Amino acid sequence: MAIPSARESLTLAVNNRFLPNLEYLLQGSILDTAVEHLMHRLKGLCDNVDTSPETFHDLEVCMSLRQPNSPQPLLLRVRRALGRDAPFQMRYLGQPEVDMRRPTLVRSCMDCACTNGILDFLSEMGFRLEFEYIAKGYMFRKGRMKITVSKLIKIVPGKQQDMANEPISQSYIVELSVVAPTGQENVGEEMRLFAEQLKPLVQLEKIDYKRLGNLP
Amino acid sequence: MGVTVLQPYPLPEGKSGSHIMDHLGKRLLSLGATHAGQFLVDCETFISTPQHGTPTRAVHVLHNSEYPASTFSIIDNGTGKQVALVADSIFDLLMLKMTSTFTSKKQTKIESRGARFEYGDFVIKLGSVTMMEHFKGILIEIEYRPCITLSYCWEMIREMLQGFLGISVAKEYPTYFTTQTIMNAMGQQQLHAKQNDIYEPMDTVKQYLEHFTNYRKHVQLHGTLASAAGSIGSVMMPSTVGMGRS
Repeated sequence: MAIPSARESLTLAVNNRFLPNLEYLLQGSILDTAVEHLMHRLKGLCDNVDTSPETFHDLEVCMSLRQPNSPQPLLLRVRRALGRDAPFQMRYLGQPEVDMRRPTLVRSCMDCACTNGILDFLSEMGFRLEFEYIAKGYMFRKGRMKITVSKLIKIVPGKQQDMANEPISQSYIVELSVVAPTGQENVGEEMRLFAEQLKPLVQLEKIDYKRLGNLP
Repeated sequence: MGVTVLQPYPLPEGKSGSHIMDHLGKRLLSLGATHAGQFLVDCETFISTPQHGTPTRAVHVLHNSEYPASTFSIIDNGTGKQVALVADSIFDLLMLKMTSTFTSKKQTKIESRGARFEYGDFVIKLGSVTMMEHFKGILIEIEYRPCITLSYCWEMIREMLQGFLGISVAKEYPTYFTTQTIMNAMGQQQLHAKQNDIYEPMDTVKQYLEHFTNYRKHVQLHGTLASAAGSIGSVMMPSTVGMGRS
């Protein structure tokens, strides 16, 4: 029996809908002064709290490639864990769809773990640095939902490792997301119910970036 | 995971590829090796659409059935610099997002597939190389699993190869291990002998790419190459033939 090629297996995974390629997302924010309350609430609701909530400290670099015949550049986000030895994570995010009938924002999403040559690789492909920032915070799980509470930190160019980098604001960004295969519409409802339980501490919403205008 | 060496096998005149594969397979079985499934290594190359002032870049995307969840890619920026990347196999879908910048050269899609054998500490794969369904040659992969440095086990690999192939294999390390250029701290390229380095799966993939590139180059010369290889005969050939210098 001939073994299938990698391309064949991947096509099969997409066609049979077991490749997770859609992200369902709700976002909100909470002031530094109130974040402790939210942490308590999450500890009560989530699965992975036997010890202490899982922390993360990541540098995210967004790279863009201008493509002929396309007004939008292709964006790829590369995440690297600071102070921990882990593979780099590359992520492609599609245009968000904000459908009134759906409880969450939905966008196509591809996650890909890579070796550490990825930034060099992308540069050689012609990608250019778009922006970079540090995200530091806590990650919770509830079933297949992921909840992150993170502080976004501005980077002084060339000083990615520096502790002196300043937070962007006096609040934390809270994100509730699920990456699932196409066709699992009940995910959104599951998330809406969970988001209800975090009110009134944090109001998780589908944020339409287009309506925010061209923010830097 | 051990050390892997690739060895092209010259096709004797008047013999078909499948005949040789059968013959070598039988030899391995009678030695005491066991048949352990099939294998596939494939390679697709994407070329950047020409733009002003930038050299043409090539992205080679390879898969190895031994590492089914990974995609191996090597970018050649056109000025001699190469960057290698191992990623999840979803990387293939990302490449398809860039089709307006990087186009697949479908006619050079090439693969090596065939039977996989295990013999004690060795894994031997008899690969039949085809490009667009056309048979190009036989490529033998041999892996010695308990070791991760070529210099410690090359003699043993060589002896094993000579034993079951019935050809003589040069005493020197295969060219892949002796002719690698690396970038030094000053950004200059320099020669680096790899036989003492720790062997990685990427090294196997790079060896395949080297051989695949040779097969692709010889597309136009195919007729002359076949007759030259045929004249060597099946037993005892000159020691340098088949060490990637074809």
